[in-house]
Parts: sequence; C-alpha cells; structure tokens
Amino acid sequence: MHHETVMRTEGLTKVYTMGKTEVHALQGINLSVDRGEMIAIVGASGSGKSTLMNIIGCLDYPTSGTYHLDGVQLQNLSRNQLADIRNSKIGFVFQGFNLLARTSALENVELPLLYDRSRQKIAIRKTAEEALERVGLGDRMDHEPNELSGGQQQRVAIARALVTNPSILLADEPTGNLDTKTSVEVLTLFQELHDQGMTVLLITHESDVANCTQRIIELRDGKIVVDKRIEPVKAHMTTVTDESEETTPAFT
Amino acid sequence: MKGSTLIKIASQSILKNKMRTMLTMLGIVIGVGAVIVMVAIGQGAQSQIQDQINSLGTNMIVVTPGSSRQGGVSRGAQTYNRLTIKDAEKIKRESLFVSAVSPVVFSRTQVIGGQGNWRTTINGVSTDYQIIRNWDLKYGRFFDQSELRQMRRVMVLGHTVAENLFPEEDPVGLTVQVRNVPVEIIGVLEPKGQTASGNDQDDVVFAPYTTVQTRLSGWSRIFQILASTPSSRDVPAAQEEIRLIMRESHGISRFAEDGFTVRNQNDLAETEQGTTEVMTMLLAAIASISLLVGGIGIMNIMLVSVTERTREIGIRMAIGARGRDVMTQFLVESIVMSLLGGLIGVGIGFAGSSILSQLTGWNTVTSPTTVMIALAFSAGVGIFFGFYPARKAAALNPIQALRHE
Repeated sequence: MHHETVMRTEGLTKVYTMGKTEVHALQGINLSVDRGEMIAIVGASGSGKSTLMNIIGCLDYPTSGTYHLDGVQLQNLSRNQLADIRNSKIGFVFQGFNLLARTSALENVELPLLYDRSRQKIAIRKTAEEALERVGLGDRMDHEPNELSGGQQQRVAIARALVTNPSILLADEPTGNLDTKTSVEVLTLFQELHDQGMTVLLITHESDVANCTQRIIELRDGKIVVDKRIEPVKAHMTTVTDESEETTPAFT
Repeated sequence: MKGSTLIKIASQSILKNKMRTMLTMLGIVIGVGAVIVMVAIGQGAQSQIQDQINSLGTNMIVVTPGSSRQGGVSRGAQTYNRLTIKDAEKIKRESLFVSAVSPVVFSRTQVIGGQGNWRTTINGVSTDYQIIRNWDLKYGRFFDQSELRQMRRVMVLGHTVAENLFPEEDPVGLTVQVRNVPVEIIGVLEPKGQTASGNDQDDVVFAPYTTVQTRLSGWSRIFQILASTPSSRDVPAAQEEIRLIMRESHGISRFAEDGFTVRNQNDLAETEQGTTEVMTMLLAAIASISLLVGGIGIMNIMLVSVTERTREIGIRMAIGARGRDVMTQFLVESIVMSLLGGLIGVGIGFAGSSILSQLTGWNTVTSPTTVMIALAFSAGVGIFFGFYPARKAAALNPIQALRHE
C-alpha cells in the first residue's frame, strides 16, 4: 500500500486580534493527510474548525506554521496565487450550497473552469457535463438552483467542486441544510467519490456524518485532541437500524 | 478569462435584473440622445450657414470702398477712394489669379409688369457675375458682352421677383417697366434661398451695369467689385494681388492706408460660423450634464449591486476568481450597460433629430463622428463610474463575502 501525503501542516497557528484581546483560534495544528483519505474534522463551535478549514482552503493565511498542499509550499503567496490554488487544487462544498442564483446547474459547474488559467484549452462544457453526470444530475443540467431540491443543489455544488479534479474536496457541514434522507444520499455520494480515490475532508459536528469516514479528527480550543482511524460505516438513515448493513473497508 | 466569457457573464447578470438595468440605462440613453440631438441642431445650423456661403458664389472675393482714418478719427466707409469701372477692368486685365471680375451697381426701384409691380433691387453687373456667383438659369439666358457694350435694356429676374410678377409662367421675352423704361426679360435665375442674416438672395434683378448706370438709375457709383478665382487655393494670392493692383490704380502712396477692403467669403463667414460653433458647444455641454448624471446613476446601481452580490463575489473567489477577475466582471458590466444605453441613445437621438427637424423645420445634421464620440463618451462614463464599485468588489475578503447574508 502506497501512502502519498497530499497535505501536511506543521505548527499551524492563527491569532485574531479583536480590539485589545488576542484570540488564539488555532494553537499548533500538526496534520497530515494521505491521498485518497476520507476524514471528518469535528469539534464544538469555537473549537477552530472553521479557521482550520479557511486556512486549508487557502482562503486565509495562518499566523505561523507551515502548510504544504500537493507538493506546494503555501507560505508567502499572494492573493492571486492563493486564488489560483483554490481554483486548481481545492473543491469547496458549503453548507448553504452557494450556487449562483438564476444560473443553470451546468453554468454553475462551468464556473471554476472559466477561472482556470493553468490548463490549456479544455472542453469546458463537456467537462462540466461529465461532472454533473458523475453526481447523477445528467438530466437536470439546464435547471436553475430554485428548480432543484436541496439534495440536488448540493450535488450540483459537489459537481462544481469536482470539475477541476482538485487535490482535496473540502466540505463544510455539507448535510447541515438537508433532511436525513437527502443527507444520506449526499454522504453516499462522498463515499463513492472517496472510493474512486478522491481525498475528502468533511467538517461537521454530527457524529453520524463523522462515522461515515475513515478517520476522525477532533478539535478543541484550537488544538487537535483526538485523531483516530475508524472503520467507516456506510451512510444510512439513523432511524433505520439495519444490522445487516455491511461496512465496506474503504482502503485503496 | 476570455473576453467573450467576460461579456457573457456581464450580459447574464445584466439580464437577470431587467427592470433595474433598463432604468439605469435610461440615464445614459437620455444623456447620449440629448447630446446627439443638440449637436445635430448646432451642426445643422452650421451647415446651413456653410451652404449659404457657398451659394454666394465659388471662391468669391469682394472689394469694397474701405473706411479711411485721419488723425485717428474714422470718416466712415466710402468717404474716400471710390471704386471705378477702371478698377474692375484693370483687375480683369492684370491679375494672374482672377478669372472673373464684375463691378456691382445697386439701385432700389420698382419693377412693373405681369401681375402688377414689385419693389426690388436692380443690380448692374457684368457678364462675369454669373460665373462668380455660380448661378444657374431656370429660363432663358444671361446677357452677353455685346448687350453690355450696347447698354441694351435687358434684364434677368431673380426667382422671387419672377414668382411675384409672373407666377408659374416663363416670362422670357416679355417686357417690364423700370422707371418708365421698357426692359426685356431675357432670363430667370434658379433660386438660391436666404442668406444667413435672412436676406432673400432671389429678390433681385440683374441688368448690364452700363444700362443701369445710364438708363435705369443715373447713378454711376460702383458699390463693390466682385472677383473669383478658378480654385479656392488661389484666393489668398488673388486677394493680395487685387490689393496691389488697386493701390496702383488709385495711386496710393507707399505708406498710406489702402482706403478699400478686399475680403473673401471666409472672412465674411467666420463671424457667423464662430457664433454657431459656440452655440453648438454650449448645447452639447448642457446635454453632457445629463450624461454625467446618467453616469452617477450607473455608479449608484453598481455599488448597490456589489453589496447585493457580496455572496456571489465570495463564491467566485472561493472557486478561484482573482480580485482582478471580479473587478473586470463588474467593470465590463458597467461598460456593457453604458454602451448599450449609448447605442439606444444614438437611435433615439437620430429619431429625435429627424422628428425635430420635421416639426420645426430646423436643419439637423447627424454625423458618424458624433455617433463615435457619443459612444466613446458613454463607454468612458461606464469605465469612470464603474471603476470604484468594481475595485470595491475586488477588494472584498472572500471569507467575509461568503458569510454575507
């Protein structure tokens, strides 16, 4: 089994200054993620989850510490360079879907490709269509977000995150706005992507969601307090107790 | 990002807010439309004046007895140095540049005949006059050299005079009475219209100056000498040449003033042209203010739009838009909006100009240059007033933008 590190942080800290008080949101995060892992980052609100996600997602700069992503050292990068890394290496999935309103599913998925300046000519439309088919929305491409259910919207968002073939998929409470049934569908989709070799980071506070992953990292007061590997359970309805549900080991 | 993609994105977001876009564009539409109409009116007036100046005759030079001064006190025009037939003949004979010369004798009198009588101006001129004024005949012919020499009682009528005395009729061959002298009509001129100052150029009759001086008025003084050159390039040289010939003819000593004036049409026209130019500028300036107000409207809407779409900006940044991409997007939006407004404004300006000229009878001129300037100006307004909101959008922090509700 070959383990390739896709991202690694060392001594990552983040200090916010609010008036005269300093808030230490992150206090030395050492985290290493292998390619193809599916990880849950859990913690109460205020534990530093969001701050960590912003830094991993290249939306924010750490106060100190190092961060490597897919072989790139992310210190001292300009805003533009961070934007390019977000575009090529990170796929965001948000709690509130964050699709552009009055814009078709296909156009939403095409969007990251429009900002892509690294690759040469690619078939934008075709790539976007493939991404939508991959999340099972091949028949909804021309629908606008308000014509889609919550689960479908989130799948459009996942397609948008996938379309650039990123190094990691970063999902912030992806099921937070969904009912149990569609949550299961979305989590199943994440597991399928993981099975296909995608690195997935789920930020969540729901243990059901966390249990669908291979590894749970718990944050408290800006520090990692738990980092354990588990046998993932297949996403299922919590109301249905089905012991016979087989758990597929998802090692690749 | 490609230019076509940018324009597509901008058009999409413009189309998403149709009502608002329309109202915002209305400011630019009215501004550009107003500028086009105002400039059309101004240029129309200018071209009308230009036409009138051209209708005076091609490359015409006018010699008039000038004012003279003695000890700083003007003695007024025509107090000195009368013009004579000899002057005209000398110019005709000696000048290298001038091709046609005609003295002009005026007499205000009544012409009786046909439908009654008509008070008009008799101009005594030479045969060259027709060439100088570039004036075609509607009926008949102009008098010739032998008729001039023989002081024949022949006359060519201006269009207004012919219309009044012989409405809808060819009067050639008929006779009219001038100061109890019968005069034969040999021709009628094509109409030339009014001068810039409102004088009817067609309310006039022409006869050989010899006839006018001896038989029709008994008034022998020459009021002016007209001359013309074949090419407008020769006009300044001809002017100077005529001046020297005149000085020689009048025996004016070396240091004395001319005592006459030699002017060309441009000199005559400059004053009036200048006035209308100022008027055009003024009208355009006033109209530009509405364009400015339209621009402020665009800025206002773009600022609202940036605030309203903060989350969209956050999303775009999260998936990899650079600040510059966001800025360009908003800038393109405001340019597309103002340019589109400008185009509609051009259409409305054209329609407005033609309606206005039909309603009021004013001459309006819409030129491609005006359109280009108006469009460039509206694009400029889009860039200028779109820049600040666009920069504001580009400077947003993606994390805060994403959290924005």
